[in-house]
Amino acid sequence: MKHLIPLMLNGEARELAVEPYRSLLDTLRNEAGLSGTKKGCDVGDCGACTVILDGKPVNSCLVLAAEVRNCEIVTIEGLQPAPDRLHPLQENFMKYGGAQCGFCTPGVIMMAKALLDENPNPTEDEIRFAIAGNICRCTGYSKIIDAIRATASDLADRAEETAR
Amino acid sequence: MNMSVVGTSVKRTDTLGKVTGQAMYAGDLILPGMLHGKIKRSTVAHAKIKRIDAGKALALPGVKAVLTYENVPRVLHYGSPHPRSASVTKDQYILDNKVRYWGEGVAAVAATMEEIAEEALDLIDVEYEELPAAFTVEEALRPGAPLIHETGPGANLVLDPVVVIRGDVARGFAEADCISEGEYEMGRPTPAYMEPNVCVCRWDGDGKLTVWLSTQTAFMVRGILAEVLGLPLRSVRVLVDHMGGGFGAKQDLFQHEFLCALLAQQSKRPVRMEFSRKETFLGGRSRHPGKVWLKQGFKKDGTITARQARITLNSGAYGSHGPGVTSVGTAALTSLYRCDNVHLEGRCVYTNTPIAGAFRGYGVVQTYYALDVQMDEAAERLGMDPADLKLKNAVREGDIAPSGHPVEGHGLEDCIRRGTEETRWHELRRQARDQAGPVRRGWGMGCEMHGSSAYPGIKEQGNAIVKMNEDGTVTLLTGAGGLGTGAHTALAQIVAEELGVRFEDVSVVHGDTDVVPWDIGAFASHTTFMVGRAAQMAAAEVKKQLLDRAADRLEAAAGDLEIRDGVISVRGVSGYKITVHEAVGPQKGIPAAHLVGSGTYHPTKSYSFAAHFVQVKVDTETGQIEVENVIPIHEIGKVIHPIAAAGQIEGGIQQGIGHMLTEDYLVDLSNGRSLNPSFVDYKMPLSMDMPPIKTIILETAPSAGGPFGAKGVGEDSIIAIGPAIANAVHDAIGVRFRHYPITPEQVLQALREKNDGSSSADRRQAS
Repeated sequence: MKHLIPLMLNGEARELAVEPYRSLLDTLRNEAGLSGTKKGCDVGDCGACTVILDGKPVNSCLVLAAEVRNCEIVTIEGLQPAPDRLHPLQENFMKYGGAQCGFCTPGVIMMAKALLDENPNPTEDEIRFAIAGNICRCTGYSKIIDAIRATASDLADRAEETAR
Repeated sequence: MNMSVVGTSVKRTDTLGKVTGQAMYAGDLILPGMLHGKIKRSTVAHAKIKRIDAGKALALPGVKAVLTYENVPRVLHYGSPHPRSASVTKDQYILDNKVRYWGEGVAAVAATMEEIAEEALDLIDVEYEELPAAFTVEEALRPGAPLIHETGPGANLVLDPVVVIRGDVARGFAEADCISEGEYEMGRPTPAYMEPNVCVCRWDGDGKLTVWLSTQTAFMVRGILAEVLGLPLRSVRVLVDHMGGGFGAKQDLFQHEFLCALLAQQSKRPVRMEFSRKETFLGGRSRHPGKVWLKQGFKKDGTITARQARITLNSGAYGSHGPGVTSVGTAALTSLYRCDNVHLEGRCVYTNTPIAGAFRGYGVVQTYYALDVQMDEAAERLGMDPADLKLKNAVREGDIAPSGHPVEGHGLEDCIRRGTEETRWHELRRQARDQAGPVRRGWGMGCEMHGSSAYPGIKEQGNAIVKMNEDGTVTLLTGAGGLGTGAHTALAQIVAEELGVRFEDVSVVHGDTDVVPWDIGAFASHTTFMVGRAAQMAAAEVKKQLLDRAADRLEAAAGDLEIRDGVISVRGVSGYKITVHEAVGPQKGIPAAHLVGSGTYHPTKSYSFAAHFVQVKVDTETGQIEVENVIPIHEIGKVIHPIAAAGQIEGGIQQGIGHMLTEDYLVDLSNGRSLNPSFVDYKMPLSMDMPPIKTIILETAPSAGGPFGAKGVGEDSIIAIGPAIANAVHDAIGVRFRHYPITPEQVLQALREKNDGSSSADRRQAS
């Protein structure tokens, strides 16, 4: 039997009908129509399904949809500040070559967003630690780290401009 | 040549969708009424199916179709259908009445929900009659070994031995001052692409099959589906938009393409079939594990007088790319380091283990590991620096490459020289090492060369169609697959450069076998090289038509015109110009021009080169090896997109580090069961493990065939890193490993043996 789960999804109040055993990942992909969040393993090993749940990054394959009643969830589709604008992480992943096949990219970007929200000026080690649970098989990580570092610096510049 | 688009890291055509979550992968598709397909996999490694009963499964509410070997077409087919090629083997059925490895598909179900399909799998009753199995090459080659296939040359050989002979090795060895000989053993790394295998199939009312699939070879899949299902090619349409990596392995068919299509046909509904991660290991393709016995003769000055090798590769339960991998890996040993006298034999052997297939580096990873490690061993015996020995013997312009073609340029020498300068190699190697503490450091280097096409194994062709639209923008139609390398961007750059229009004005149509020109598939480091050249040819044809049309309006000869940034002008004359848009677009009473060009390029072969320099840290107390620095030097001809090219190099190094240190897909040798089909147990280098990589790309040996001199890069990056690490470990701790992966336990064991050896030697001296 399906249950109605009310939640804030990418800033919008939604109600999703889910079976009690259904993962948040499958719910996002199949019920909410948000296929940007990817399924690389379905057992919490790869990070491709990372979304932000009440401000914290989670593997959405390990969360039951029934657990997110009244929670706030942000997925890759909710990252753009406006339909015609990109988040600096998205800009920089494009610019620095942080995405190749792109399958890990939404998860890595969401994990990076969670990192920068908490620690706006991370060291390289902190970046590497933050994305340690996100498997990327294409890039060797160099260009992902370049993109995240550049974003931290862009966001700092912006904050400085706003302060002035 | 002054270029405005080629050589620039333009914004890739595929990444906006990837960073916003809009990019569509096959598994993202949801069709109305779609069912979910699942495969039942064998729980034994070698058996006849005595009885298979799907009755209970079919009776389960929600189950719409069940397939076993009893109700699918029985057509012997290729695992990876390269056309007119000797590189693949015809030894598979969709479902057979026999299983040959643990995890092979034996039945399939389509149901309204995934959970119901899974439940139905449990209800299918299979009775096996187990057969004796062979899990190692040694077991499979033993006289009287269980025969795994009835087809092929017999005795569990996938193909007749590949023999390559040049010169006279007996004479070469007789002339040698010293001989190096050893056996090198390779583990079973697997591509572990992030996107599990997935397809969606739908039949139209008029009997046409549409397949959404994650594949590198859409046209090959179309061909084999049509052949096995008995359909004309016009009735099979394969669609691939984005795909989440392939690294060579996704050239094969994985049973699910057929099963999904047949389930959809039987249920008259669309069916989606997605492998779990575990199934992606079980039913996927690994690199060929194997052994290389290698013997070389050297003169005192380092000249190689003879090279003899026996290569034995483990194909697993099916042939897949075994013939191609064996041929390419074996022939590779004719070159890299010059030698006039070679005698090489390659064998590929069936075993009751998971299937080995194509994987980046295609046989060359295995054989050049042996070759390059042995060069280091020889350097030590000859009292030479290994970089000097490799440089002295490096393949050079005019030498006959493994493909039989003369090598263009001095790419390998350039790479070695640049790397030794960059690392100050000779200083580093001479430096006194701290041998007191538990942590030891060392430097090593390895080399490779790899061809930018599958020629001569496959006579390939690249095709492209370029159309100019009436507003002066351009559409490129290509069959080349987009694995995530940025190939479509590179193709668009080539077209823009050739036509003299802006990169932003070129769009790429791909991934639909009904629409785009035929393509052999994205593999063999050939897309930019081969399809790029075809795209350049097609663009040149459009350019000619365009200039003919503009010539009248500019009152000049077409040959005197040039196009830059979308403006056509008379060369050397200022003021006289029209835009491309004006030249092609409609004029009073005259419709827009129909400008279409097509290009077909039959490549031979161009080689790219690399030398990788690495620094490792070995903890002698834990046995842990850490790669601290990698400096890869690659010579790849003209670089089309520097960031994408560097991305290929860095990703290959990541996989290569995995090969050397942690990645090994293991099989229980008592029953054939896969031991680590998960990302927790199959360990890959992740963000915390990856060292800084200082990528250096040289353009010193451009190809005459490639577009603007470009060559391939995709596979090169995974080859040299392996021996470089093994050689660096030797530099650090004085232990020579001749296998991969090199695990901490093995390091500790080897150090113990070394210390015991020296202490017993000491004791002997004392007494």
